Amino acid sequence: MARRSHMFGVMLLSLFCVLGRLAMAQQSSEQQPAPGFHNDVLIKGGTILTVTHGKIENGSIYIHNGKIAAVGQSVQAPANATVIDATGKWVMPGIIDSHSHIALDDDVNEPTNPVTPHMMMKDAFDYNDKAIYRALAGGVTTSLLLHGSANMIGGQAIVIKHKYGLGRDELLFPGAPQSIKFASGENPKRVYGTRNQLPATRMGNFEVMRASFIEAREYMRQWDDYEAKVKKGDKDATPPKKDLKLEALADVLRGKLLVQIHCYRADEFLTEMAIAKEFGYKIRAFHHALEAYKVADKIAANGVAIATWPDWWGFKYEAWDGIPWNAAISAHKGVRVALKSDSEDVTRRLNQEAGKGIHYGLTEDEALKAITLNPAWIIGVDERVGSIDVGKDADISIWSSYPLSSSALADKVLIDGDVYFDRSLPGLGLTHYKEGQ
Amino acid sequence: MLRKLFIVCALVATLAAQSKKPKPSPAHDAAAPAAAGETIALKGGKLLTITHGVIENGVVVMQNGRISALGGAGTAIPAGARIIDVTGMTVYPGLIDSETHLGLTEISADRMTNDELENSDEIMPHMHVYDAFHAESALIPVTRINGITNAIVAPAIGDTLPGQDSFIQLAGASATEMLAVRDIAMPLNFTGRQRRNQNFDQAKFPFTRMGMATQLRQAFIDAQDYEQKLAAWEKKKSSADEKEKEKAGAPPKRDLKLEALLPYLQGKKPVVLAAEEPNDLLTALDLARDFHLKVILNHVTHSAALLDRIAATGLPVIVGPIYEQPKESERYDVVYSIPAQLAKRGVKIAFASYDAHQARNLPYAAGYAVGFGLLPEEALKALTINPAQIWGVDKDLGSLDVGKLGNVVVANGDPLDVRTDVKHVFIQGQEIPLVSKQTQLRDQYWK
Repeated sequence: MARRSHMFGVMLLSLFCVLGRLAMAQQSSEQQPAPGFHNDVLIKGGTILTVTHGKIENGSIYIHNGKIAAVGQSVQAPANATVIDATGKWVMPGIIDSHSHIALDDDVNEPTNPVTPHMMMKDAFDYNDKAIYRALAGGVTTSLLLHGSANMIGGQAIVIKHKYGLGRDELLFPGAPQSIKFASGENPKRVYGTRNQLPATRMGNFEVMRASFIEAREYMRQWDDYEAKVKKGDKDATPPKKDLKLEALADVLRGKLLVQIHCYRADEFLTEMAIAKEFGYKIRAFHHALEAYKVADKIAANGVAIATWPDWWGFKYEAWDGIPWNAAISAHKGVRVALKSDSEDVTRRLNQEAGKGIHYGLTEDEALKAITLNPAWIIGVDERVGSIDVGKDADISIWSSYPLSSSALADKVLIDGDVYFDRSLPGLGLTHYKEGQ
Repeated sequence: MLRKLFIVCALVATLAAQSKKPKPSPAHDAAAPAAAGETIALKGGKLLTITHGVIENGVVVMQNGRISALGGAGTAIPAGARIIDVTGMTVYPGLIDSETHLGLTEISADRMTNDELENSDEIMPHMHVYDAFHAESALIPVTRINGITNAIVAPAIGDTLPGQDSFIQLAGASATEMLAVRDIAMPLNFTGRQRRNQNFDQAKFPFTRMGMATQLRQAFIDAQDYEQKLAAWEKKKSSADEKEKEKAGAPPKRDLKLEALLPYLQGKKPVVLAAEEPNDLLTALDLARDFHLKVILNHVTHSAALLDRIAATGLPVIVGPIYEQPKESERYDVVYSIPAQLAKRGVKIAFASYDAHQARNLPYAAGYAVGFGLLPEEALKALTINPAQIWGVDKDLGSLDVGKLGNVVVANGDPLDVRTDVKHVFIQGQEIPLVSKQTQLRDQYWK
């Protein structure tokens, strides 16, 4: 009971943020191209990895007002465009990390209830965290900041662009769809089981989820009834109580949220997909997904992507059968594969992680896609970023050598056509940040 | 109290008067009993010998566990040898990981599969990793099929003196053969992470770095005291004077903890001194100087400001993890650059994975350091000949030279690159099947 009243307090606090956030997302998506970017940039002379249409040797990219305006061996650009000479360098889209927990201080889990879909990551977002800068220096331009895996349903994520040095709202990816984080397996079991609470088993895990969605359905029915009555002109109709938690779950059932599920074991992918089918929502991606290779055909058939590591394994039981060929086997069976970090360290060198993907059976193109277009799809921003195509945001990383290797370094990183990181600069190499601001 | 203080002062003064020149490493024999088997000749590869340059289109012959011949295309191959064509491949000595927890852990989250740290006390020099080393660990084949053939196995960093390292070979009939050198070195950790009594309400000594340093000094003094008592007893016991001999009485009670410290206080074996921050590094170096420890430095991850000072000590350094985050105010590449900066100053460096499950990724850290200015040949040395010399096993390991053990790797590219795939691994001249728990799962499901 005490917990419930506390939860209610949290709900009230979050209310304004939720409403504000929905309004913002809607507004931004109507405002394309994004306002405020005034740049004319010509990147010249590099080897361009476009992701969608192969490699262009000695290519150029013309950027106008934050968007890629032209790409090819020779492009038209105004004489006054700022020229970035990329001769001898490699040019690719900015890296996209589809699983990150940076910039959240320790506010990743609200481990007080196994179902907290109404916890809004934006409320905890520490946009000054230098981890955003260090990832940027490793070529990352977009990240999905997710909740942890203490809860079966953790909360709603944010998508950021790594424009380190700007204000909070300028770091949020405008118009990005809202993702929600689910979990499964050992972590919720451990968190609640050690307190002798539900769930302590995988049975409990999934029961908690089903019960939540049944409750959400009932909530939706009450609102539908009420709205039907109002429509009929019933002046005495009283609205049901607005409940942020059930509202968030209802949004899952309404298909408004991209469902991102932390899940390791083959049997659990199958159960998750069955529950999604039962309640009529779609799963966007399984995260970690170490045993995806065991049921890859089924995951592919459901159109679910995976965001995995190239080689992590063995740190717990459900990671014991992790193998580095997971990405390749899954990709070859038709699964859309992203390589992600889930780590403040690894997010700084996802290019190397993609190189490992090649080592373990991905083609160069698949490995490149695994840190660009595929994570963009998982996040729901693949129309905007993830490849070097005309009309996309000019989020571009320029590398000292072939990027998917051990020793390549990001020399310059552009977001919306502006340079945010330049390795040749003294100090931190940042262009939009002043120490102590 | 005063007396104790006097002893400490006197001791420090005496020690300071002694030479600070590092003693040479003891030479170890890293070979298991010679495994007779087939003679193997690798033909056509690019040999990265480490000690005498690169040989294109070379030949390496391995016989009776060792490299018996090596050279250009004309090198004679003995009759009956199995010839493996490695044209287009790179051939290099097996890599040496200078700190792992291999054989001490299986599933990180399951305590019952972990033997990494005895945390009942900070001072546990009498813990020997060979007592826990699990030769059949699934992690070992996973590691060796990526070209790592030898490794230091160390206890975890949670105690100031967590026990003694062993040097292993990643193949062998049993733990006996794989534990090539037992008690090869002793870690001394001073990173602040050994403080585990930080709950003020249940405070327990040592609570602070001061407590930890004092506890260490006392342990070393106790060991010296023990040594003196032993020596005095032995002197009496072996006296020609029968009366003296009789006076000796019973030997001092054996103390495993203090006994374990003696080879290190006597400078017979190296202490692996782990520090990250400059202040910790200086405290640890003072301790080492005061007790005349023979030192291999470890980590120095946040001591970029002290690199000249580190170089001036002439001590070798195990570098990393270079993936450690820099300080909030620091440039992103401060830690990544440390190996290059140390090598530039003439410091002998070696890389370590500091891991078990991901020890296979050892070469990639070196590759990344190359991005930040380390010369590729220096990076490769830091995985081969440098650690072989640091650990005193260079007679057997660390380069492609006639007479050394046949620990040889064949790969389809640059050993430091993440994309490179290892195609053959030989340990003591025998080919290791490229099979692990993970390849078995791959082969079961990749159809």
